[in-house]
Formats: sequence, C-alpha cells, structure tokens
Amino acid sequence: MLTRRLALIIAGLLLVGCASRAPSKPGNTLIYGRGEDSKTLDPINAETGETVKVLLNLYDTLVAFADETMEIEPSLATTWETSEDGLTWTFDLRAGVRFHDGTPVDADAVIFSIDRLRQDNNPHASDPARPYKPSYRVIDEITAADPLTVVFKLREPSAVFLNNLAMFPAGIVSPTAVKKLGKGFSTNPVGTGPFRFERWIRSQQLVLAANDDHWRGRPHFDRVVFVPVAESATRIQQLVRGEIHIADNLPPAALDELAKNPSLTVPEEISMNVAYLAMQTEKPPLDDVRVRQAIALAIDKKALIRVGYAGHAEAAVNLLPKAMWGHHDGIKDRPFDPEASRKLLQAAANDNGFQLPLTLGLAVMSEPRPYMEQPLQIAAFVKDSLAAVGINLTIEPKPSDLHFARMMRGDFQIGLTGWTTDNGDPDNFLYSLLDLDNIGDSGNNVSRYRNEEVHDLLLAGQRELDQDRRLVIYHQAQGLIFADAPVIPLVSTKQRAAHTSRMKDYRLHPAMLIRLRQARFEDVP
Amino acid sequence: MSGYLLRRLFHAAVTMVVAVSLIFIAMRLVPGNPLLARFGQHPDAEQMQRIIHEQGWDQPILSQLGRFLHQLATTGDFGESISRSHEKVSDELARRVPATIELTVVAMMLAIPLGVAAGIAAAVWRNRWPDRLCMAGAMLGVSVPVFFLGICLRAVFTGMPIGFRLPAFVIDFEPITEFYLLDTLLQKRFDLFGTAFKHICLPALALSSIPMSIIARITRSSMLEVLGADFVRTGRAKGASTWRVVMRHALPNAAAPIVNIAGFQIGVLLSGAVLTETVFDWPGMGKYVVDAVRESDYVIVQAGAFVIAAIFVSANLVVDLLYLWLDPRVRHS
Repeated sequence: MLTRRLALIIAGLLLVGCASRAPSKPGNTLIYGRGEDSKTLDPINAETGETVKVLLNLYDTLVAFADETMEIEPSLATTWETSEDGLTWTFDLRAGVRFHDGTPVDADAVIFSIDRLRQDNNPHASDPARPYKPSYRVIDEITAADPLTVVFKLREPSAVFLNNLAMFPAGIVSPTAVKKLGKGFSTNPVGTGPFRFERWIRSQQLVLAANDDHWRGRPHFDRVVFVPVAESATRIQQLVRGEIHIADNLPPAALDELAKNPSLTVPEEISMNVAYLAMQTEKPPLDDVRVRQAIALAIDKKALIRVGYAGHAEAAVNLLPKAMWGHHDGIKDRPFDPEASRKLLQAAANDNGFQLPLTLGLAVMSEPRPYMEQPLQIAAFVKDSLAAVGINLTIEPKPSDLHFARMMRGDFQIGLTGWTTDNGDPDNFLYSLLDLDNIGDSGNNVSRYRNEEVHDLLLAGQRELDQDRRLVIYHQAQGLIFADAPVIPLVSTKQRAAHTSRMKDYRLHPAMLIRLRQARFEDVP
Repeated sequence: MSGYLLRRLFHAAVTMVVAVSLIFIAMRLVPGNPLLARFGQHPDAEQMQRIIHEQGWDQPILSQLGRFLHQLATTGDFGESISRSHEKVSDELARRVPATIELTVVAMMLAIPLGVAAGIAAAVWRNRWPDRLCMAGAMLGVSVPVFFLGICLRAVFTGMPIGFRLPAFVIDFEPITEFYLLDTLLQKRFDLFGTAFKHICLPALALSSIPMSIIARITRSSMLEVLGADFVRTGRAKGASTWRVVMRHALPNAAAPIVNIAGFQIGVLLSGAVLTETVFDWPGMGKYVVDAVRESDYVIVQAGAFVIAAIFVSANLVVDLLYLWLDPRVRHS
C-alpha cells in the first residue's frame, strides 16, 4: 500500500517535471564552451590559456595590447615616459576609475598589485606559485609620486618591460578585496575589467556580468557563462544544437566541417606561435650540425601542413613567427631535399663513425597544444620523413607535463614542442627558447644550444631601447641560429573557433587574447 | 549481532587504511611532479624548490604518509588541490560525490527493476523467446562499452541535452544538498526539476546498461534454481497463481544473490563512472579523480581514494547486513 502511494507520488512529480516548460533562455547571455576550466581567478597564479581567457575580461592592466596587433596602448595608464637612462618609468593613471567593489584605482593599488606579483614572501600573495614572476625581476622599486602617478625603478634598462606590464599577470587587483578575502580572492576576484565576477562553480560554470561603469563603456553582453566541456566531440554537438554559442580548441578537420554549417561562423586569424622540432645538441649524434641540417632537409613542411593542420598553418623558417616584429624575412629556408639530406648524413656518419640507419627517440606530447592540435599525427609524419633518409625514430608519447619536464632535463634526442608569445617581443622567443641562460631542469632552451655570440646579442637586445638597433641585433641572432640549426621551426598555426552566426565582433588576437568587450549578438540592440 | 557488527566495522577501517596508504605510496613512486601542472611551460626552479620543501614532498614517503593520516584523523581535512589554486578538496568532493550518487541512484532505479523483471521473464519462459530475447539483450548490454553506448544515445536522442546537470544559462540556482533532483523540489523550482531530470536521463541510461544486464543474468539463474525447488511445486499444487508463486514464493528465496550483485554494482558505480561522466560532462567524482591522476595532484587522488574506499566498504557492509535480514540461515549461524 505504502509503496503504491510512493509510486504514485513519484509518477506525479515526474509528470509535473516534464509538463512544465523549460526556463526561457535569457537573450543576451553568451555561453562559451571551452576545453577545460580555469585553475584560478587570481592573475598572479595563472598560467594556462583557459585561465588567462577569463582574466583578460576581469582585469585591466596599466597598458594593453591593441585589439588586433601587439602594439601597446594606454589602458589604466593614460601616458607614460622613460628617463634618459631607461631606469625610471613614470605612468599617469586614468582618473575616476573604480574597481568592481567601488575602491578607487590609485597609485597604491598599482603598487600593491605589482608587488604581490614580484616580491618574495609578499604577504598578500596567498599562493606562492607565480609562474610569471621571473618576467618582473627587473623591477627594483615602485613608488607613488602622487595618487595618480606611479614610478617604476628598474635594475637595468629593459626593452620588454612595457610589454610585460601589458601581460595578464600584471592585472591590477583591488587591494581592499585582497586584504579582506585573503586566499578567497582567487575565487572572488575584483578588478576593473569590462566584466565583473558573478559566480564560479568549479568545473561546471563560471559567470561574468557586464561592468556597467567600465571606462571604455559597457560591454554588449549582459553576461558571459564559461562552461568546460572536455570532449571536443561533445563541444561540437552542443554548439550545433545551440546549447553553447561558441566553442574553441577544436580539431582542424571538425572546424572545416563546421564552417559549412550556415548558422555557424568560423573566424580565422594568424597566431604568434611556433611549433618546432628540438634536438638535444649536447649528445651525439645530434651534436653534429650536419645531422641537424640533414633532418631539416628531410621534412616537407608543405605536406606537414596538409597532414597535421588540414592546411591551416604557415611554414616557419625562424622561431620568431612571421607576423611578429623582429622576424628576419631575409633568411631563405632550407629546401625539402631528401637526396641532399642523405648525403649530409652519410658524411657525418663517416666522420663520426656511426652506422646508418640511425635509431633515435622522438619525444611528443599526447595532448593537443594550441600550436599543435594533432601531435601524434605530426610525430608519425616526422617519423616517415626521416625514415626516408636513414633515421629510424621511435615515437615516445607522454602527457604534456611529463613531456616538457623530460625535455627540459635534456632527457631526449628529438622532441616536438612549441611556444606561444607572452608579450609579443622577439626576446620572449629567442632568449627564452635558445639562450644558454635558460638551459636547465626548468629552462625552456631544451635543445641546450650554447652559442656565446648569440648570448651576447640576446642580452644586448634586452637592454637596448632603440627599436631600430634592436632589429639589427635580432636579425643577426636569427642568422646565427639558422646556420647552427639547434631547432627546426615547423609552422605557425592559424587559430580558429566556431560560433553562432548571431555573434558579431568576436575578435581573435594574434597572441590568442580572447577579449569579449566588443562582441555582441546582432539581434540584441 | 552487535559483536558481528563491530568486527565488520573494524575490518572496514583496516581495509580503508590499507587502500589509502597503497594509493598514497603509489602516487609518489610514479614519475611526475605535481607542480608541473601549475607552472606549465613557465617553470621557475627557485619557486618550485621552495614549494616542494614547504609542502614536505622532499621528505621520506612514509613520514609523509604518517603526516597525512594524522592530519586526516585529527582534523578530517583533505587539504587543497595542487594543480588548481586554493581549491578545497572537501568542498569539491561535497559537490561531486552527490553528483555521482544522484547519477548512480537514477541508473540503479532503471537497472534493478528492469533487470529483475527481465531475469524473471527469462526464467519463467525458459528457453522460449522471452528468455532468448532478454539474454541476448543482456549479452549486448554487458559487452557494449559505455562510452560507445553514450555516443549512440547522443546520436539517437537528438532532442535531449548531452552535457551538464543543468543548462549553462541557469545561473540563479543555488543547490542546498547538491542532489539537484532533490534541491529543485525543495526550492519548489518544478521547471528546473524537469530540466534536471532531462539532463540526467541519457547518462543514467548509459550507466545502467551494464548493471542491468548483470542483474538480469543473475536473476535468471537464481530464479531457475528456486523454481525447480520442492516448495515451489507445493505452492503450485495448492493452487496458487503463477504470479503469486513467482513473486511471493520464488523471488524472495532467489533474492540473496541478486542483492549481492546489485550492492556490488552500486559500489562500482558510486566509486566513479568515469566513462559516462566524461562522455556526458557529468561533474562527478570519477572524472575528478582521473583528471587528478593525470596531473599528479596528490592531494585530490588521496582524498578520492579515501572516499572511494569508504563507499566500497560501506556498500559491502550494507549488503552483508541485508543478507542477514534476507537469509535466516546466515542470521542463525
């Protein structure tokens, strides 16, 4: 009897549930489907692309990258000037800007924000893991000349200082909120950006709401909801069914398919990134430049772009992407020439006393990266290419974290890797990836390339403030690096996303900065 | 009886400590550095060394284990995630365990009645078409991988939502217990109850296929044994209807193995239906722990191991107690 009554109640509830209509969709909320969730909302602790994507909409920096280029524009600072020796930088702050909690933005807030990013043992850095902290080492002291004037004293002149201030870690945070919330700030952020934080249920939903008082004007969307959908196949289906409005980080072939759907738009933009083949230059046989050059000659980059990127990439000659300031256009790439490659390899084999075919390991990450959406296909392509000239590769896939760690340890022979620009400066590619200062267990010069001449040039490039003279320096460095071939740049990719055609003015940025303040639905006034 | 219970509880506690310790040690023996997920392509040796030292990861594994068990026993605190800044693991588990339980409960509400019904039908009409049909279905059900079934369901039911517990645009719902089907009713959000129910349908259906098939097969064999027994013949002889004989006499006597296998299946599902959770983006515990293993996030894996061990041990305990209740022979021995 009791069970029968219970069954009736349940059946009744189900009927009520199914009969009532679904809640109506708010018309001006953007639902953004992405591959994974944010790891934090505190800019000083962020590293991954998905984390940064949200921060760019929550915070402003002193200066900012332009909408579609890497030019530096005013943001919270309206003007700035440098002293003659390049050691003192003075910024005038925009008057009348307030954080989302009402705290006014003044020089003290700027000092507070940058100090918690750069200082050891800063009491307001509740999480000590600050991946970008080394980029701000050059700052010696920050002072307030008056409430709206901040003065930075540097340890040495730095050509990348201003660009680094435009990067997300230097986002200006509300000191009131940080002091009040402590470590809770990382889940209840307060900035000055075009969107303010509304709520975050980890791995389910992250909601931002329009900041009505933003100094650039109110953004168009009332809300943006970021939802993590790990499987790209699910993300695609949800996009097609309208459960989400935009999806990014999708495989190239799927994007080609989605581009045919009339209700979807697939924007495309070059990216300032590079995928490359790194070679451990400390150990034989890759310590011989001829072997490295032979490998470069054996790879047909045009075919690689077809196979690994469905045509959506550009062949790279240098580590510096073509779109970036400082790229050396004068260097002509080595042709695809298996015959020449075999000869070079044979000569190296005769001199060094090794037998052909060579057997080497090819380290590769098993998960997609922005510069390499299909790492295993690319590994297979490289394996086939080198087999044709007398090098047998064994593909060694590992999860990304372990892959990068082993490469940094120098515990590999050939490895696939890549880089996306942080600050749009050549220094960020050439010094980070090829300078002898960055050889070590946590250094990104995984090829362990040591060239004193290149080192001197790269250090000079960091300190030189004259852009024309810097250009000469970086061109010279690129020439030397190309001849030594410690790495083989493969491609720079084109970034794509797919979104409903109702959405307009969604702008992809070459540095993959996703800023949603201009995006809107065309049918919402 | 109480002595039995105490003994069982003691065994359960020992099992949990052993399981958690083994996972703790294994996580630290496999290569990997939990800080890599935080620093990505921007590692800084100086900071990483300092954090490793502060966290005590440079100490011997056994002393780390001792510290972990002590902290757990004294404060009940699992700590914070390593790969995500300031994520309190107990908060996250408080959301994810209910999500997994809710999915399991709905899946088992499908699996148990349908599985038992199919098993009874197969036993009663042995070697005739209902038997063949049910057993072929059960064979298919156990052998089709869950992720494949999930993809098929998504393709067939195009009108049904295929991810999340509620649509992404619902931003005004504040769960109380984190059991959404319950919370929506408690808050009288009947529209959301319907939506939440729609969202759980496909994942629950996918998840129910294997336990349903296993239960059907066990029910069939257990019923066949009982249907051949003397008391069933006696029941028929005294003129009881087939329905009454099967449901009133045979089924309770065939129940013990069914309860056993159903309890075990509940334990398996509760400890994380990783594949289903992945295919349908269900924010449950299995996916949480598997992602943590990938990122070498010791803290989450330890906490997850503890919770999964606790669920398994208590599911087994409950099954054993049910046995006592169902089978007088066990009770008296």
